[in-house]
Amino acid sequence: MATAFELAPAIAALPLAAFVVVLLVGDSMPKKGAFAGIIATAGSLVLSLWALATVAGGEVYNQELYEWAAGEEIAFHFGILIDPLSALMLVIVSLVALLVHVFSLGYMNEEGETGLPRYYAELGLFTFSMLAFVYADNLLMAFMFFELVGLCSYLLIGFWFRTPSASSAAKKAFLVTRFGDYFFLIGVVGIAATFGTLSFAGESSFVVAAEEAISGGETLFGFGAETWVTILGLLVLGGVIGKSAQFPLHTWLPDAMEGPTTVSALIHAATMVAAGVYLVARMYGFYALSPTALAIIAFVGGFTALFAASMGVVKDDIKQVLAYSTISQYGYMMLGLGVGGYVAGVFHLMNHAFFKALLFLGAGAVIILMHHEQDMWKMGGLKDQAPVAYYTFLAGALALAGIVPFSGFWSKDEVLYDALILGLEEPIFLIAYAMGLIAVFFTGFYTFRMVFLTFHGEPRSEAARDPHPIGAAVKLPLIVLGVLAVVAGIVNLAPIAKLTGAEIVFLEHWLDGEYGAVEGLTYHEYHELMGHETSYIGSETLTMLLGAALSLGLAFAGAGLAWTLYNVPEPKEHTRRLGRAREVLGNNYYQDEYQVWLARDLTLPFSRTADRFDQSVIDGVVNGVSSVSLFGSGRMKRLQTGVVTNYAALLVLGFLALLVIFGINGGWFV
Amino acid sequence: MILESLIGVALLGALVTFVAPDRIAGKLAFAISLVPAALSLWMFTAFDGSGNALLDGDLAFESRMEWIALGDYSISWFVGLDGISMPLVALTTVLCSLAILSSWTPIAERQSQFYGLILFIEANLIGVFAALDFFVWFVFWEAVLIPMYLLIGIWGGPRRKYAAIKFFVYTNVASLVMFGAFIALVFSLGDGVTSFALPEITDAMLAGGPEAFAGLEGATLSSVVFVAMFLGFAVKVPVVPFHTWLPDAHVEAPTPASVLLAGVLLKMGTYALLRFNFTMFPEDVISTFAIPIAAIAVISVIYGALLALAQTDLKRIVAYSSVSSMGYVILGLIAYTQFGIGGATFQMVSHGLISGLMFMSVGVVYNATHTRMVTDMSGLADRMPIAVGILIAGAFGYMGLPLMSGFYGEFAIFYGAFGSEFLDYAPLFTAIAMFGIVIVAGYLLFAMQRTLFGPYRLETDYEVGPAPLHDVAPMFVLLGLIIALGVAPELIFEMITDAVDPLLGGGA
Repeated sequence: MATAFELAPAIAALPLAAFVVVLLVGDSMPKKGAFAGIIATAGSLVLSLWALATVAGGEVYNQELYEWAAGEEIAFHFGILIDPLSALMLVIVSLVALLVHVFSLGYMNEEGETGLPRYYAELGLFTFSMLAFVYADNLLMAFMFFELVGLCSYLLIGFWFRTPSASSAAKKAFLVTRFGDYFFLIGVVGIAATFGTLSFAGESSFVVAAEEAISGGETLFGFGAETWVTILGLLVLGGVIGKSAQFPLHTWLPDAMEGPTTVSALIHAATMVAAGVYLVARMYGFYALSPTALAIIAFVGGFTALFAASMGVVKDDIKQVLAYSTISQYGYMMLGLGVGGYVAGVFHLMNHAFFKALLFLGAGAVIILMHHEQDMWKMGGLKDQAPVAYYTFLAGALALAGIVPFSGFWSKDEVLYDALILGLEEPIFLIAYAMGLIAVFFTGFYTFRMVFLTFHGEPRSEAARDPHPIGAAVKLPLIVLGVLAVVAGIVNLAPIAKLTGAEIVFLEHWLDGEYGAVEGLTYHEYHELMGHETSYIGSETLTMLLGAALSLGLAFAGAGLAWTLYNVPEPKEHTRRLGRAREVLGNNYYQDEYQVWLARDLTLPFSRTADRFDQSVIDGVVNGVSSVSLFGSGRMKRLQTGVVTNYAALLVLGFLALLVIFGINGGWFV
Repeated sequence: MILESLIGVALLGALVTFVAPDRIAGKLAFAISLVPAALSLWMFTAFDGSGNALLDGDLAFESRMEWIALGDYSISWFVGLDGISMPLVALTTVLCSLAILSSWTPIAERQSQFYGLILFIEANLIGVFAALDFFVWFVFWEAVLIPMYLLIGIWGGPRRKYAAIKFFVYTNVASLVMFGAFIALVFSLGDGVTSFALPEITDAMLAGGPEAFAGLEGATLSSVVFVAMFLGFAVKVPVVPFHTWLPDAHVEAPTPASVLLAGVLLKMGTYALLRFNFTMFPEDVISTFAIPIAAIAVISVIYGALLALAQTDLKRIVAYSSVSSMGYVILGLIAYTQFGIGGATFQMVSHGLISGLMFMSVGVVYNATHTRMVTDMSGLADRMPIAVGILIAGAFGYMGLPLMSGFYGEFAIFYGAFGSEFLDYAPLFTAIAMFGIVIVAGYLLFAMQRTLFGPYRLETDYEVGPAPLHDVAPMFVLLGLIIALGVAPELIFEMITDAVDPLLGGGA
């Protein structure tokens, strides 16, 4: 079975090959390179599944493959780490990538796009980078591919580069995430310089080194070991916050919707945005050493979940609703990881990848149906016209809203449960829990507002009355993801396990290494490192039931409100009644404004001032020195009059002066 | 004798090209330049040197003969390569060939003289990196200035005279300061030193340093000379505040001259800093100035990047960004660690390739549009997709995208600097300098958005179409090299560290 691991490099290399081939000869390929991408990602999926099966068989893989650069103290290398976490993620990424490639046949090819070879080449490059990131065995390699997925995101958001807003959005996305990556890179450099290794796993990993430094009470760079680990962890977190669009670096994601919807589904919902959260999970042992860093992760997550969900309520563009929903959902994952819910966070990551890719592709189907209209107020009544799109979208919506028994319910509930039981022990975390809980209500509301406005009621425009048909390439991915959105929760039915005692928390066992795991990278080892205490209201079961009832009640309340307001033949813009609040929400709490202000009204004028200073003062001095010497030589030049008598006079004067000097020196006048 | 033939072919080629008719000068010069390029690539694969050239290392392609006796001192023709100079020589020859190719479109007047001067520069640049006798080195060093002065002054833009004279006088005065200081140092080293061979001078410096000279204590003299030489080279690099000649020179220079100026001439400054200041002087002298030099480095990075942000002329943007990138090199040097100095040397080569690519890209845009102003154009990607594609790749290279050479250069410097025990507050200096990677993304993305994307708009009475092959081909070659070094930095980093290690060990 170990051959699965020997073939592991091909998981990433296949899409890379597709990238190269499509880039060079895509124009003359069938479907402009789509098939090359489909074949490559299908190959990656098969190999990923094989790797997953191999891990299930108890084997893991942690292998350095290529030495990138080496010095005396440290060697940087590329390697592959396949353990339960990365094997799972490989399957998620290659599956979604494959489905998006297929969907693109219907969404891009059939819509007569130009530049398709560029599109498929960039998708291939993205899939390569993302897969390589996922199974990177060290932090530097992870950083490198983390940056490369950022490049692909830039290229694909700006795919329609002739549209000014698309190229502007692409720039913003790269710049904001770059700002986060700045801190990440300091973190990488700092970890390398502190511990002399960047490996995620094994005896020589930086996690083990950090643990030893803390237990040994060492002083690192003038700080106590734990403080320094916290600082490094928070620096890396900068990259996470940028990539996973967490507050305050979330502003790029809604703009990124300028890209093709397929790109939004793959990159800005299911995979690249997940890279940040995945990184936290990947180096969870490191964060487990720092309660402060974990608490910050929890609060950033909880706040973002609520904050973004509230903005989703007032959006009219179907992709914008999904964008804010994505930010909010990644907030849940961060909350889960921050409160020690490693399994819950990863579980939600997986479910979200499926149901959000589904919703985005569903939105793509809606956009085809609507002849490229994205405003939900122009939709309505699509339910009967496109049942496949409707029912799959509904499945995704139920999962997103967290309605039992759809997949999202199980994972979101587990996140909230983990936050609650920690909060009962350390009340400060109750605040994070409360934010996550209130966000459930908003989520239910905006999700079903979107569903009702889009699919229910009467058609509100010509396009909605006469929708464009959708083909099999569109329907097939929707159906696959729709099924997953319904059933994926089955892998970790923790509440039912607690009630019945049945051993059905497969994902927890999976991540805990009951099948096979790299030492140090298992759930219980993380748990020991954190040493979190938890309490319950009454009993564990009672707490669980109370929490689930609460969140389910809120989800139903939100969905029910949307039902009464929007599930009518002629819905009105009820959010207008929010008045000033709507304005604040509609303007995203003026987050974009202040960031644009920082860039355009602070940094740019500052740089112009620096430029003026440079031109006038620094270059002024240079030019000044040269004009002094020009002026001086101009004066000197006057000595050269060309009149012989002047020279004779100067000669005599000079001679007399010399005589006087010699005289004084020689003591003649004494 | 291989180095001599490298220099000789370029020199002879320059002469031949001078007298050749304009019609064939470009093709002739390109053909000739392929000889040193091919030779140096062969040398690169056959390189068998080890250690540092100044610290009793085994030189590759060494050649030494007595030349002139000057009182108690002798001057010898002494050339050879170590792991630091070998990549730079290869960079020089490759970049010269590509620069010649990229001149075919823009250079229409006095072609034979133009190409002759390029080959003449090439000969001298090789000499600068190969020479190991101070006098020989200095002759090459100064001789580089003349052809560059003429290239800017004759083929340059509207303010070419001002720019050319500023370039010449500024860097020449700096050379004078450095020359005076170095000669004083040599004379103060006492009877042990009988030649101007750099290894011998280095031995004497590290063994005991200078005696009292001209009323100064030996130790004071060391410091004074260190500072004077640092200033002399700093102008060439250039670091803030001695950088103002650079944007003027770049803006006025024709594209191929900019390519060589940014690609190789700036590296003369950092190379000389490494060879002289950071190799000949003992650790305690350097460490006295560690904080100010690191401060200069950080200021160059951030201030240079801010200046680039304020520009609207594409060439000025790339010119100021060179100041920023060279700041990283200085930071790496003063970190005084294996990865710091090694990374700095790597960055010299990498920046040579990337800035060369960027100037070529801007040149190709200019050839097609006759403007370089960001505000004048938009949507170029529509008209010249391949050239724009490479430009985007080059820009991301400049931003330090992983798997391209710029990332490794910067990463190695950051890593080497962060943990440096030589430099106080090293993590702080490093973290501040690293912010440059955000600003560089800011101005390059902004410029690309304005010029390349959006609807096509450019008011011209001529057709803007794809660039010709001989404009795009050199860009492809550079991009290939940039990616190759990014994927496999060990291609040159191994030989670089081999030459850097003895230096950190305090001598052989």
